[in-house]
Amino acid sequence: MKFKVIRSLLIDLFVLLLGCLSLLTPFIFQQARYPRFTQSSFPVMVSVIIMLCITIVLFESQSALLDGKMIALLGMLIAINAGLRFLESALPGPAGFTPIFFLIILSGYLFSSRVGFLMGAMTMLISALITGGVGPWLPGQMITAGWLGQSAALLKPIIAKCGWKEKPMEIVILTAFSAVWGILYGLIMNLWFWPFLSNSPEMSWSQTISVWENVKRYLAYYIATSLFWDLSRSVGNILIFSTLTKTVAKILTRFYHRFSFQYTQTVNR
Amino acid sequence: MKHSKAWGAWLIVTMAIILSTRNPVYLLVLLISLLTLGSFFKRKDRTGLWLLQNLRFSGTMILLSSLINAIFTHTGKHVIFTIPVNWPLIGGPITLESLIFGMVNGLIIGSLYLAFNIFNLVLNIKQITGLIPKIFHPISITITIALTFFPSVQQRAKEIREAQLIRGNQMKRISDWLPLFLPLLITSLENAIVLSESMTARGYHSQRSAVPARIVTSSLIFSAFLIFSGWILGIYDYPILFSTGLYSIGGLVILIIFLYANRRVKITRYHHETWHRRDSFTVLLLVTAFVVWIVLQTGAKLPTAAYSVYPALSFPAVQVEGIVLSCTPIIPLPFLNK
Repeated sequence: MKFKVIRSLLIDLFVLLLGCLSLLTPFIFQQARYPRFTQSSFPVMVSVIIMLCITIVLFESQSALLDGKMIALLGMLIAINAGLRFLESALPGPAGFTPIFFLIILSGYLFSSRVGFLMGAMTMLISALITGGVGPWLPGQMITAGWLGQSAALLKPIIAKCGWKEKPMEIVILTAFSAVWGILYGLIMNLWFWPFLSNSPEMSWSQTISVWENVKRYLAYYIATSLFWDLSRSVGNILIFSTLTKTVAKILTRFYHRFSFQYTQTVNR
Repeated sequence: MKHSKAWGAWLIVTMAIILSTRNPVYLLVLLISLLTLGSFFKRKDRTGLWLLQNLRFSGTMILLSSLINAIFTHTGKHVIFTIPVNWPLIGGPITLESLIFGMVNGLIIGSLYLAFNIFNLVLNIKQITGLIPKIFHPISITITIALTFFPSVQQRAKEIREAQLIRGNQMKRISDWLPLFLPLLITSLENAIVLSESMTARGYHSQRSAVPARIVTSSLIFSAFLIFSGWILGIYDYPILFSTGLYSIGGLVILIIFLYANRRVKITRYHHETWHRRDSFTVLLLVTAFVVWIVLQTGAKLPTAAYSVYPALSFPAVQVEGIVLSCTPIIPLPFLNK
């Protein structure tokens, strides 16, 4: 059992490391600042490596935890989440406001990190299939949403250790977490094309300057093009989490127990 | 051409060509080829709006990309006009170089969007999910469940919303969403319990998986590491043989492990797609065009594929072979009519 946990942890760490390294290549590898690198291979290679990372986690998760019950539960939760994307128009929110983070974070937090990853990655995949939004941006969306769900699981031991379970502080922590991810999601999503797309001296990646200078330029690019969008998502997350978490978490926990039964042989011979 | 795998090959080749050139002439030819192919499909469906909508989208993309790049980028010798320098972020000269650079980005984004648009157009959801390898059977079942239940979830959401509106709930605040969201969640999860019980009753997952999970995961990790290493070595200007070798070994390991594991998964598919001779012809032509493109690129025989407005602005040079290969997306066209 302990070996299984360590193995899963190592696989998750490898995927996280590889995904981050490929996204942060322009900041980390000095030589990676050749113009031809910027122009052609970057988005392709980042997408390929991210797709491999997703493949590894999906395979590992499906063989470790997906039985008939979890498949039905996940399938239905994903259908609801994809449906929420369609209801966005009825919500009173601007720009990047989206309700889909809610179930992804709660799944990761209440169930497990792997379920959170599957919920995030597959919500993006299903919504893309339904809306005809399959594109080169999809691997990036899938892994970022996957990491969102996966990282929510980290809150569980912290909240349990501090004795905040089922107390107002639990909702505060989850709300703050969702607000941070509202911004972080956009910050990560821009990385796969930023060195390739922009060429502004103030906001683009350069071959000759230091890592810190490049980080500052990325932040300038982010503030100019994405911050408003992501801020509205963050505010939306705060509103949704502060209003709905308590009730929905109770329902999800109750159903999770109903889905967690195991068949055991009880007949004595 | 009808088979989803043939269309998958078309998408990969088209994407690779779009992303490996920055010559605006080649990109324009690629865009026109994609528009021609896409408009052919829509004409069959008697909806002529597709071409107009996508022309509008591509035009907007090119225009927006040029303008945004020109406003934020002030590099270049050919100054059109100048925004006062003390204006934060956008202050500085607007140059022709930055406009053209943005236009090239817009052409790439527009072409990529069109390629995926056509892919979504020609294949239905069932065909796309059918492209998922057999070793991801549990994942594809989850996807199928989500896609199957999605319309009923939407319908139920609509009904609950209407019921709430009749009761005077205007759905204007987030808290008004609770009476909509909770019944939707509870009824959907009850459905999931019924579904999981019927799956269990029918023996789903009653046997252990025949796929050796550890071997597959280790092989995938190993190949991901090899491909990443090949990329980094390429960046550090090591001989191209190193990168190509590592890519090839990584790709081969993935291929072998997928073939090996897929054979061990026993599932029944009731609706098989038929592979026609015209699918073979199309894939053969696509692969040939792709190989020629790669050989020309790696052998530096197609220098015009790389174009930059910096340091000096010039008219993009073109080669006949570049123009011809940029027509690759149109290859399936003659094989569609039968």
